[in-house]
Amino acid sequence: MHSSGFFLKDVAGFLGGYYAFMAVMNGVAALLLWQKKRNVWAVTWAVFAGAMMVLASLALSASPAFVPALPSGARSLVNSLSGPVLYTLGTTVLLGVLFVFRKFFVQPMVAWTILNVMLVLMGLSMADENFAAIVMKPDNVPIVGLVFLLAFFTWVATKQAVVNDERIAQGLPPMEKVNDEKVLVWPDLVYTELICMVGVSAFLLFWAIFLPAPLEEPASSVKTPNPSKAPWYFLGLQEMLVYFDPWYAGVVLPSLVVFGLMAMPYLDFNKKGNGYYSIEERKFSYLVYQFGFFELWITLIILGTFLRGPNWNFFGPFEYWTPYKVEVLNNVDLPQMFWVNLLDRPLPRAPQGAGVLSQIGFVLLREAPGLVLLGAYLVLLPPLLAVTVFRGFFAKMGFVRYMVMVSLMLLMLTLPIKMILRWTFNLRYLVSIPEFSLNF
Amino acid sequence: MAEKKKMSVAEILAAARAEKGSAEPVKAGDTAATEPAVDSAAGVESPPSQPEKKPVAAKAAGGGRPSVADILAMARQKGAAEGGAAAAKPEAPKPASTAKPAAAKPAAAKSEKPAATGGKTGVQRDTASILAAARGGAKPGPVTKAEAVPRPVKPKPAVAKEPLAPARVVPPMPSRPKPAAKSEVEDRRSFLSYAVGSFMAVGFTALSVTGGLFSLGLARFLFPNVLAEPPSRFKVGFKDGFPSGKVETKFVAQYGVWVVNGDFQGEQQIYALKTVCTHLGCTPNWLEAEQKFKCPCHGSGFYKDGINFEGPAPRPLERYAIRIADDGQLEVDKSRAFQEEMGQWADPSSFIPA
Repeated sequence: MHSSGFFLKDVAGFLGGYYAFMAVMNGVAALLLWQKKRNVWAVTWAVFAGAMMVLASLALSASPAFVPALPSGARSLVNSLSGPVLYTLGTTVLLGVLFVFRKFFVQPMVAWTILNVMLVLMGLSMADENFAAIVMKPDNVPIVGLVFLLAFFTWVATKQAVVNDERIAQGLPPMEKVNDEKVLVWPDLVYTELICMVGVSAFLLFWAIFLPAPLEEPASSVKTPNPSKAPWYFLGLQEMLVYFDPWYAGVVLPSLVVFGLMAMPYLDFNKKGNGYYSIEERKFSYLVYQFGFFELWITLIILGTFLRGPNWNFFGPFEYWTPYKVEVLNNVDLPQMFWVNLLDRPLPRAPQGAGVLSQIGFVLLREAPGLVLLGAYLVLLPPLLAVTVFRGFFAKMGFVRYMVMVSLMLLMLTLPIKMILRWTFNLRYLVSIPEFSLNF
Repeated sequence: MAEKKKMSVAEILAAARAEKGSAEPVKAGDTAATEPAVDSAAGVESPPSQPEKKPVAAKAAGGGRPSVADILAMARQKGAAEGGAAAAKPEAPKPASTAKPAAAKPAAAKSEKPAATGGKTGVQRDTASILAAARGGAKPGPVTKAEAVPRPVKPKPAVAKEPLAPARVVPPMPSRPKPAAKSEVEDRRSFLSYAVGSFMAVGFTALSVTGGLFSLGLARFLFPNVLAEPPSRFKVGFKDGFPSGKVETKFVAQYGVWVVNGDFQGEQQIYALKTVCTHLGCTPNWLEAEQKFKCPCHGSGFYKDGINFEGPAPRPLERYAIRIADDGQLEVDKSRAFQEEMGQWADPSSFIPA
């Protein structure tokens, strides 16, 4: 299913406009840089804008020979490499690299280069039918916007934080304290809000007209669409549900997210960073929050939107979404692993006609390994951390606040831990008591 | 920086007024007019009211358009010219934008009285004269709507004026009236309370009876006269319609059931599987090529016998009761379900030996 002539005719007009837009964007950037006497960069982006014009004209030809696209070898390589493990680890490593080398990445020219590379790669990929079918689906267009918008806003905030950190290191006050001139609510703020309101309304109107919401067949309790996807903002939740029982991933974890966010001001004892951006002064809070937000929410939304296809199988970005993809995952529960595979004994099972109490006893015996592990994780680990890694935290926060903080963190970490266990050991549940719908 | 570039309307006006005020001192009537307006509401001028007036005066000074105060001042100027109350001019020399309006106030207040008399003698009664009359207390003239609004009033002047109030005399506490001796005679009024306890009891009894009947009426809705859903018992055909190894999917759309002739723990059986994923309740699809049920929501997979083997589903699919009816057809009964993890698949009514 690679680029056919019909498809290219449909997408050529869009691609032409896309590359032309990039050319204009870079032309304006070159002009602004030229006015600021940064001639080398100005010339670079002017040349790049010219190249984009060439790509635009090639794309408008709509012939398979000329439309710029990724070579099929590269596409199949990407397809064969991609999988949930590589995706999750890759995004983690990528975010880590962006964080560690943030001083380099916040430079405007570096960021502009990255933006252009992203846009060109997307344009080249768009010439692939399978990629375009997913990315240009009206449901998914906002997620594409989300990727770019999030990157932009994170860049802006990180840049200010880096500048402030450098100033603080030199003993200067942060930029926000220097430039803290106040403006009037009326007219400055109210006018801005009014203009934004008009602009956003107009944008939404045009969006609704040009990208109609997709309607599907009438709902039926015995027919589930394949793939069946939650609204985009819940796709992270849906991905969590792949690894957990509904009561945990659908009820406990989301509530913990809400309560954890509410608890944040009470757990935070760091007085610094109040009213200005800074990373160095609150590294722990920054890292924990960004890990939870980017890695455990945003990347899962992107994974769920673009890479999960029929039967919730993982598909590469250029792969055809066939419902017949075979991906055998023989998942095993921990009791099965422990009793049957390790000790080579049958699972402990209550004899026929045993009373309720003895049945419960046998269930607890069967699940003993998982319960012990879980208990150690949630009960033993907090005090252990208090005397080792978090010694300073424990001293500053006191018992209650420290326990709340550590418990929230440990419960948050159950998600990545469970994901890794699933990938490495095909582990389904640590504790599996289907008799009472209690699985963990 | 932004403020330096563009001055707001308020600032421009303030600046203009400051200029004018310094040019001709008559304009100082601005402050004078504003503050007595407050005074008139307070009745008597008292020192504690001063700090409260500050914001008002400041607002008038900094306010944008020609305020009521401005207009009044102009009117008063006219009145003063007529009545000959020129005292206002020399006594209030401070410009409106002065930093301490409170300091300028007593003078302004003093200058008010002559203005009031001047207003009364005036030919045409304008707002200023009416207000002045009201302020003087001589004649409570009509007030404007804005002034009718009560201002935050400080200590009552009337009380303050009273010379040496006498020590308060506490009257002796009246003795409590003795409860009337309970009359032995029963009157008609107490009949109901004897009958049902009290009037409160009557009310609450009626309330609870009504509530109970209402709840019963609501509960009636749970048992409609007509049920628009397929019957829970239905026939799916004869046994030979289900050859070995077949998963019959044609009953899914209407009844939500797969009828399977398959192998479970070495036994060939015909059983009816419920088409509800045990993870979150989506409907899995039967994939003939892979010989498995696969759920589209989170990727749970089940073998042909309904045992879960991949994805997050925690337990096997459920079975419905199945039997051979009197006419020899297979009959599925959806009112009873059998769960493997509870050991219920051993129940003979959960399958038919093939």
